Amino acid sequence: MPLLENGRLVEDFWTTIGDDAPLPPTGPVIVPLERLEDGLARPAGEKLGVALPPDAEVAVLRAALPRLALVGVTFPTFRDGRAFSQARALREHLDFAGEIRVTGRPLPDQYEFLLRCGASTVQLPDGADPAVWARAHERFTTAYQPSVRDERAEGFGLRRFLA
Amino acid sequence: MSAETLATPDTAPVGHYAYDQVDRAFLHDRVEQFRDQVARRLSGALSEDEFKPLRLMNGLYLQLHAYMLRVAIPYGILDSRQMRELAHIARTYDRDYGHFTTRQNIQFNWIRLEDTPDILARLAAVDMHAIQTSGNCIRNVTCDQFAGAAVDELLDPRVHAEILRQWSTLHPEFSFLPRKFKIAISGSPHDRVAARFHDIGLVAKPGRHGTVFDVFVGGGMGRTPIVGVHLRDNLPEEDLLAYLEAMVRVYNEYGRRDNIYKARIKILVQALGAEAYREKVDAEFAAMDRARYRLPPETVAAIRARFGTPVLDAPSDAADRLAEARRADAAFDRWVRTNTHPHRAAGYISAVISLKPDGGIPGDATSAQLDTIADLAERFSFGEIRISHMQNVVLGHVRQDQLHALWRELGGAGLASANIGLIGDIIACPGLDYCSLANARSIPIAQKLSARFANPALQERIGDLQIKISGCINACGHHHAGHIGILGVDKKGEEFFQLTLGGSAGNDAAIGQILGPALPEDATVDAIAHLVDAYLVHRTEGERFLDTYRRLGAALFKDAVYALA
Amino acid sequence: MDVRNNRRQAGGSSVVTANRLLDGRIVWLAEDGAWSGRIDAARIFSNDGIEAVIDATARRQQADGVVGVYGVQISDDSTTPVPVTVRERIRAFGPTVHPEFATLTEVPSDVR
Repeated sequence: MPLLENGRLVEDFWTTIGDDAPLPPTGPVIVPLERLEDGLARPAGEKLGVALPPDAEVAVLRAALPRLALVGVTFPTFRDGRAFSQARALREHLDFAGEIRVTGRPLPDQYEFLLRCGASTVQLPDGADPAVWARAHERFTTAYQPSVRDERAEGFGLRRFLA
Repeated sequence: MSAETLATPDTAPVGHYAYDQVDRAFLHDRVEQFRDQVARRLSGALSEDEFKPLRLMNGLYLQLHAYMLRVAIPYGILDSRQMRELAHIARTYDRDYGHFTTRQNIQFNWIRLEDTPDILARLAAVDMHAIQTSGNCIRNVTCDQFAGAAVDELLDPRVHAEILRQWSTLHPEFSFLPRKFKIAISGSPHDRVAARFHDIGLVAKPGRHGTVFDVFVGGGMGRTPIVGVHLRDNLPEEDLLAYLEAMVRVYNEYGRRDNIYKARIKILVQALGAEAYREKVDAEFAAMDRARYRLPPETVAAIRARFGTPVLDAPSDAADRLAEARRADAAFDRWVRTNTHPHRAAGYISAVISLKPDGGIPGDATSAQLDTIADLAERFSFGEIRISHMQNVVLGHVRQDQLHALWRELGGAGLASANIGLIGDIIACPGLDYCSLANARSIPIAQKLSARFANPALQERIGDLQIKISGCINACGHHHAGHIGILGVDKKGEEFFQLTLGGSAGNDAAIGQILGPALPEDATVDAIAHLVDAYLVHRTEGERFLDTYRRLGAALFKDAVYALA
Repeated sequence: MDVRNNRRQAGGSSVVTANRLLDGRIVWLAEDGAWSGRIDAARIFSNDGIEAVIDATARRQQADGVVGVYGVQISDDSTTPVPVTVRERIRAFGPTVHPEFATLTEVPSDVR
């Protein structure tokens, strides 16, 4: 599936591993949360990501986080906004600096929100038009609250410039 | 104080925040975003299921007969220029009237989807919008209709209401919450905002080192009415946004998403228990980057500086001249008794324009009336207009010596009903005549009650009595908080009405108790007459209906309604 | 779909309704498969086959420019279709509090 970063399509180097699929010994893989131990058992240099279900607390990743290059958060439907809080908690509470990848069924109209909560990439849902997503990223030039991106404040007020 | 006055733009509207080019550019972008969303819907790129939450976050519902557009009136304040634009929209895009809601907003009932981007553009041209007037996000922040004017107020909460409006606007994390989220803020010890019936209720007051807030959480009406929990006292101003972030984040993470009837924060607070909820909020608050979310005094001052303030300089004989006019005109005197509120400044008074004419539709106003209100606001109250959650209009700063002239003008426009706080001042949701969620009509019963009790002397004799009518369990008509509440129910496709007694939205917040079996419409109107009769017989000196009910209990009133049946 | 919208008896008959996408106005499925703003133009279906009609109509709602297709039970004893529930009578004939907005000039007398 196409992968979007900063409004542009980028190549996806990662392999997502299902619940039962065999785990390749090398190469960047994203494992389900319940297979995190298996993933961590691979050689230390191998890139590892984990897919966090919406009902998981991000704190469960605290110990493993230094070994993780990617955390996936997901939208079972676009209406389920828990991934926003998970992404922000990963950045703000756990200081996670790796890739936060969004999967599931988000809408392009949520793209700027995702970025401002700390998401890096979006795995576009089937049939998504990347141009609509790119436009959503350029739609607004101002926001009215601080975010984890620490955008430049506009004067003394709450407003932030969205670069 | 003087620095702030200097910073105020010449054109700053009294009572609300003045937009600048940055705010206007933002609104423009928002309108264009919606235009694009509508185009994607019409092309089929967006399904109705996907489009619905997007249109709702711009206040656009698909109701029974047409689309309905709910326009935000932040903290209930608008200026005369904005009011005229609302009149224009009613005239041009709707059927010549608008409906003020219990959240201080205005709704237009006959809107076309294809017109909506243009309507939003017209609103944006007068610094208005429909952002987050619906959807599972933080809704329009409501406020005391006498803010900045009331003699009993400790501080004007509108600057903080504006800060909350800005902070919650397109909030990246909180735009897809489990359910809608309503915040009210008051600056008076007398709760006129129903703080204890909100997802978050804030009461601002002066602390030792600046403004502090008492915080209530998890109140609400709907099918599970709950009086809010007192979460904490004396929250410092600089922590206001951080603490709200923590409160809403805990809700976003743990609120139920499997059942929309159990998704409000009140259910979460009840399920966890107030203590456990508070612990989670405090843990989040402790863990978060507090510097990032700090609300510094400079920010508050910068936003306050964009509020216009009225120059209050009534002549020294203003009060005497009002007293003279009252002695000379009994009808005016009655209106002053019911439809005014004491002002903090000598020689001033707040005037309430009732949108509850005898036999009328509560909260409705024609385009001509909207224009008249705009004109009168300019002549008598610095161009500032307030909408109350009781679905009335307030002119906040009227000179006492000019009150009689205002009243005469109101009379000419059919806007001088003297019934504020009385039995004729009925709250009613749109009900089944308009609303796709309703089970029963609310408006006809309000009209029949208001006609039945039209006699102003009778109304005044009955005194303080709030009737609140909801056409379904969602309780938009706040029936749970009515001294007499009326809830419309559906029995096999026909309308019935359940009575509740003893509710209150004030400091003595209480949820009304069901009186007995539901009744048909006309029997409901008769039943209320019987309740009033029973009250008049049994009340003691100075006792409100609510007090008599609390003193004597339900049995007496139950007999009054059902023993005759 | 709200249960109230599908309140139908085993026997009897129904009409099919929706709202127009562009302006939200109420429409009724007419004889020729077109949509009419008047319930007296609506085609009357026996309840035996109504679910199939609703399903087929719902599948073409984007092409037809309508949303929210569902069936409305009508009473058996009138020539103009009159829905059995208050809600659908209000949809069919207009809000009761604004007689000037009535959708039909001659509203059947048994409608409140």
